[in-house]
Amino acid sequence: MKKITIDAKKCSGCRYCELACVFNKEKTIQPSLARVTVFYNWDEGISVPVMCYHCEDAPCIKSCPTEALHRDENDAVIVDYEKCIGCRLCTISCPFGAVTYSVEKSKIIKCDLCSGDPICVKFCPTGALKYEEPEKISIEKKRIVSENILISVLAETLHQE
Amino acid sequence: MKNKNSYAGKFIRVNLTSGKIIIETTPEKLLRQYLGGVGVGARIMWEETDEKTEPLSPQNKLIFLTGPLQGTLFPQSARYEVVSRSPLTGWWAHASAGGFFGPELKFAGYDFVIIEGKSPKPVYLYIDNDIIQLRSAEHLWGKTVPETNLIIEKEVGDKQVKIACIGPAGENLVRYACIMSDYYRAVGRCGLGCVMGYKRLKAVAVRGTKGLSIADKDAFDKLFNDWIKRYTPEGRYWEHVSAMRTYGTFALTDWENAIGRLPTRNHWTGYFENAENTIGMQPLRKKHYKRHKSCFCCGIQCKYVSEIREGKYKGTESEGPEYETVEAFTSNFMSTDTNALIRANYLCNIYGLDTITTGHVISFAVECFENGILTKKDTNGRELRFVDKPENSTKVMETVLQLVEDIVYGKDEFSRLLQLGTKKAAELIGRGAEKYAIHVNGLEASGQDPRPHKSLGLTYAVNVRGADHLTSLSSLDELGYKEELVRRYDKKLVDILADRWDERYKGYLVSEMEEFYALVDSLLLCKYGTMWPPLYYFDDLLKIIPIFTGFEEYSDPQELEKLASRIVDLRRAFNIRLGWTKKNDDLHPRFKEEPIPTGPAKGQVCDLEPMLKEYYEIRKFDWETGLPSEDELNRIGLQDVAKELKKKNKVVKNPKIPKTGRKWTHWSQRIK
Repeated sequence: MKKITIDAKKCSGCRYCELACVFNKEKTIQPSLARVTVFYNWDEGISVPVMCYHCEDAPCIKSCPTEALHRDENDAVIVDYEKCIGCRLCTISCPFGAVTYSVEKSKIIKCDLCSGDPICVKFCPTGALKYEEPEKISIEKKRIVSENILISVLAETLHQE
Repeated sequence: MKNKNSYAGKFIRVNLTSGKIIIETTPEKLLRQYLGGVGVGARIMWEETDEKTEPLSPQNKLIFLTGPLQGTLFPQSARYEVVSRSPLTGWWAHASAGGFFGPELKFAGYDFVIIEGKSPKPVYLYIDNDIIQLRSAEHLWGKTVPETNLIIEKEVGDKQVKIACIGPAGENLVRYACIMSDYYRAVGRCGLGCVMGYKRLKAVAVRGTKGLSIADKDAFDKLFNDWIKRYTPEGRYWEHVSAMRTYGTFALTDWENAIGRLPTRNHWTGYFENAENTIGMQPLRKKHYKRHKSCFCCGIQCKYVSEIREGKYKGTESEGPEYETVEAFTSNFMSTDTNALIRANYLCNIYGLDTITTGHVISFAVECFENGILTKKDTNGRELRFVDKPENSTKVMETVLQLVEDIVYGKDEFSRLLQLGTKKAAELIGRGAEKYAIHVNGLEASGQDPRPHKSLGLTYAVNVRGADHLTSLSSLDELGYKEELVRRYDKKLVDILADRWDERYKGYLVSEMEEFYALVDSLLLCKYGTMWPPLYYFDDLLKIIPIFTGFEEYSDPQELEKLASRIVDLRRAFNIRLGWTKKNDDLHPRFKEEPIPTGPAKGQVCDLEPMLKEYYEIRKFDWETGLPSEDELNRIGLQDVAKELKKKNKVVKNPKIPKTGRKWTHWSQRIK
């Protein structure tokens, strides 16, 4: 099953994910309604997108009294607006603040993985956001680390010998 | 209520003298006639100031402007513009910066902010959607840019707040102080940070969560993919986009040196031997690259963070340097010490100085020293030298770095002299110092040279803010975009236009660029993508403007031409009112008379007059006085400007327009 993975090292902080998300979902340009938000530490010059991680043991699903929150075939936690009564319990139970309530729209706002084709990933210019099998990503990370080990550590030791 | 188009709909007027803050609806007529950014700024400056408004006076205005494309999904629309009258040059001033501040201002609900008056005590302006406050900045006075940012973030309790502020350079009225936003983005040229310092406005901090709209969403949907594609391998200039993404703007250093246009030794020559291996893109990337960065919603992403990994300044870290800074603090002094470059960039960033002017005002002093015009008695014991041998770079640059800090704080008489900029300093030194003061109309020449790139000579000469590279520079001849020339112009002219050393038709080319960038600076797009690489042209603007603004008339090239000319001529009229004449449309003698001594362009000089004639012909200026034509101003909708200039005898009824006999089809006639 594919998941969105985040490589904060690659994030340039451009916020394309935010705008693509909100325009796709709400047909408006208002980053505060996006399902993803980029946070910065300006001083350190680093940034990272924060969004719904579609937890395995999702507190939002557990806290929903009407079973409006449920999983779809992509393993995404989504809202059934027919069932949602707007009690906002999910915004309290979510440990990441990934579920928000828009007063303007009078509804819960949360990531639904765009039915298995997340637009934020498509628009990420640096590849910080990916939608892949998690195993693939960790293999890729291991490969990069191994290159560093091979170059800096092993090469040195081998030369010494 | 949300607007129907991509404007925010309101603007703020802050009077610092009285502390009064007014929020008003942005007049639609103003936006329709001037679009936004530099256009709207020019109109407000024209109406609300006059020739008696001194740059450093409570009467001068400082205007922060956004544009209709800003904050939208459009791929490179992060920039905001600041306009005023320049304390460095005394003429019109505009400068812009990318980052996140501009879009945030629009998300807070404002198209622009007019700052007027002068605060009795240091203050900063805090905007949080509908809440607008002037807050005390006494505890911020004297703080560097990063310090100021950190304190304000803490004070408002929100790290997402976007801040534009000045550093000590602006407070101490260094004439080329800049406004720094999002920590390291500079509203660089013309000394707008000095105006802010004079007004005792330490910072503008903005937080906005409102939304924007697009006038024609269906058309936007249809074209959006076409725009985005230009930043992918499918795009026409992918090679350039990807080079900028990998290296940033200093990818230019190698190219400029290859064509003999990399300013070296205070613009003495345009070639720095071995630059590719010492200060070029590869060594810089290898030695200093730390992290990738970007402006808001950018398709190019040319930003990055650099660090120093060895020596005295190990651990210094800052965004950049950009190409202009690379040139100003390496080849400009014949230095190959890139650690000193990163350090200089860092110092300019934290104190809030324009790196271009800072580098060049110091190299001016060095050349004066080398030629005996300045002695150790004048410089308070400083030994000012260019680097004679590469291994001496670090030692020479140490003096330069110390001088940068001394200038910020005006440590002694000599550094206070350099605070005034090259032109004024040369006047005060006398003794023929003007010979080495490489400026045009008071603004220090940037990282370009008109001798190997002739059209740039005209760019420098006629620019409303002096010798800068962002108001009318043509990259088509500079960087050899022949394919683009073929796409845009008469095939017979392509070879002449592509030839950097051929002055013919360049007056028309520069004039066209000036019109194009006037629109770009009003929509507020970045010059990357519009200048380098040339991803967009007038044919795109004809679609883009109506889609975002709903101003359907601008899908007609004739109307768009009038709009562009209106902005260009109004800025010029602002200068004309201040006393600009034909004499100002000129270059420093070094560019016209001293053949370039070394490198690929050896022996070249810039012959300005033929290009100036073409430029005057197309802009319909009077060849004797440089004044605009009354009929032309009336044609483009500047009747009231013509009327006011007429009262002051600064407009000509029947101008003597030069006839070059050359055939040139204006873009508005070429594009369907």
